[in-house]
Amino acid sequence: MISLLQSDFLLDSVMKFVETSGFGAFFAPGGWKFAVMIGIACFLLYLAIKKQFEPLLLLPIAFGMLLTNLPGAEMFHSELFAGGHVHWDIFVDNAGLIDYLYLGVKLGIYPCLIFVGVGAMTDFGPLIANPKSFLLGAAAQLGIFATFLGAYALGFAPNECGSIGIIGGADGPTSIFLTARLAPDLLGPIAIAAYSYMALVPVIQPPIMKALTTKKERMIKMSQLRQVSKTEKIIFPVIITIIISLLLPSAAPLVGCLMLGNLMKECGVVDRLSKTVQNELMNIVVIFLGISVGATATADSFLNFKTLGILTLGILAFSCGTAGGLLLAKFMNLFLPEGKKINPLIGSAGVSAVPMAARVSQTVGQKENPSNFLLMHAMGPNVAGVVGSAVAAGILLAFLS
Amino acid sequence: MDNFANVGWSEMLLMAALGFSVVFAVLVLLIFIMKAMGWVFTRQKKAAKVAVQGAVAAEEHDAMSDQEIAAAIITALKLYKSNLHDQESEMLTINRIARAYSPWNSKIHGLTQVPEHK
Repeated sequence: MISLLQSDFLLDSVMKFVETSGFGAFFAPGGWKFAVMIGIACFLLYLAIKKQFEPLLLLPIAFGMLLTNLPGAEMFHSELFAGGHVHWDIFVDNAGLIDYLYLGVKLGIYPCLIFVGVGAMTDFGPLIANPKSFLLGAAAQLGIFATFLGAYALGFAPNECGSIGIIGGADGPTSIFLTARLAPDLLGPIAIAAYSYMALVPVIQPPIMKALTTKKERMIKMSQLRQVSKTEKIIFPVIITIIISLLLPSAAPLVGCLMLGNLMKECGVVDRLSKTVQNELMNIVVIFLGISVGATATADSFLNFKTLGILTLGILAFSCGTAGGLLLAKFMNLFLPEGKKINPLIGSAGVSAVPMAARVSQTVGQKENPSNFLLMHAMGPNVAGVVGSAVAAGILLAFLS
Repeated sequence: MDNFANVGWSEMLLMAALGFSVVFAVLVLLIFIMKAMGWVFTRQKKAAKVAVQGAVAAEEHDAMSDQEIAAAIITALKLYKSNLHDQESEMLTINRIARAYSPWNSKIHGLTQVPEHK
């Protein structure tokens, strides 16, 4: 009898243990979602490690996604950030490590710190030498506004449309910065769409580039850019910061940080700081950003039709941005004299995605004319696109927040 | 979401058009500013280049006049010597060159000495 009681007690204990364990949660109602999310996280890890799709960001994002979807682990508490606000009254008692790390995203700190590093790694020389590139960078923002409307057509709320549209800026930190403020619930899917499609730029862009240009246009050789003096490179970030921040105060955090990093690089007197923001600071922030953004991709927020819509609209955003840059370059060629014509392929680099999009312009151009070197010419619209997408984010924030 | 209850297609289209136009306007403004900055810097560079070129040209001019004088003297000397050469003796002579002996170019030192067996 005693042994029977003991065996019942043992069985109950085992059952309780199984029910409270993470494995038990898989068999609870809706538990299949955790399994699917773990599968998606593992697939993203595969893409990051094996296919090297933006691995520096995709790997921490995918791992953050894995951690947050382990049932019972309670690594991230979305209720602490419900309604788009941090609930400070219950934060300290309930928050875990990832909740604390997520504050950097929520408060808009990480994207700005990453922009300091991006600025320190960017050479604005080609843009200063050829200011017309700003036009191509502006035209490529067509993707943002076309997707903004596309998202509305699919039934998203206007603030969500702004966050989805910014995927077309092909700029991860800008997408995260804007989404954390406008539609924090969509942060996971939008970050994953932005970074995945950025990695897929060499696949998405070439067919559009070939479809919208003729062979003759792709073979156009552009004259060499003028040399830019050090003084110009130093003055540039200061002027851009003053003008854009005065015109669009909501874009000041992103543009200001980008230009601060660039000034550190160009002035040549703070080499230690420049190296730190390019390497140590950037890497540390990328780890925190990746894990916390991935952690927001919980089963409830990710496994729905909205995610499917965001992934579809992301492709639309990149395609429209590419087409916008190309078409404006073709339009500009109608007015430019022979010998000063622009190779339209550099227009597609206006979608940011530095320097991947510029490399794509170079590769496609060299396929038609092996003696053609478009990389430096494409870097102009490419960095103009970074400024353009930050300005577009500032506008959307001003309209929709 | 309540903030956007009154937002319809017309507002969305207006926002998109306005947003895209503002992006264009800001970046076009930056083009003008960068062009102006480029103009100032290239003008400064050109002015500096012209000044340097002027100095180099003046130096070249001085150098040329020296070279011309030298060329005139050389031509005069050449003409003078050529005139001397016009009247030749018509005698062909072979000058002997006497080489002084030097142990450094002596052939015997270049040959391999056969060791003597004693």
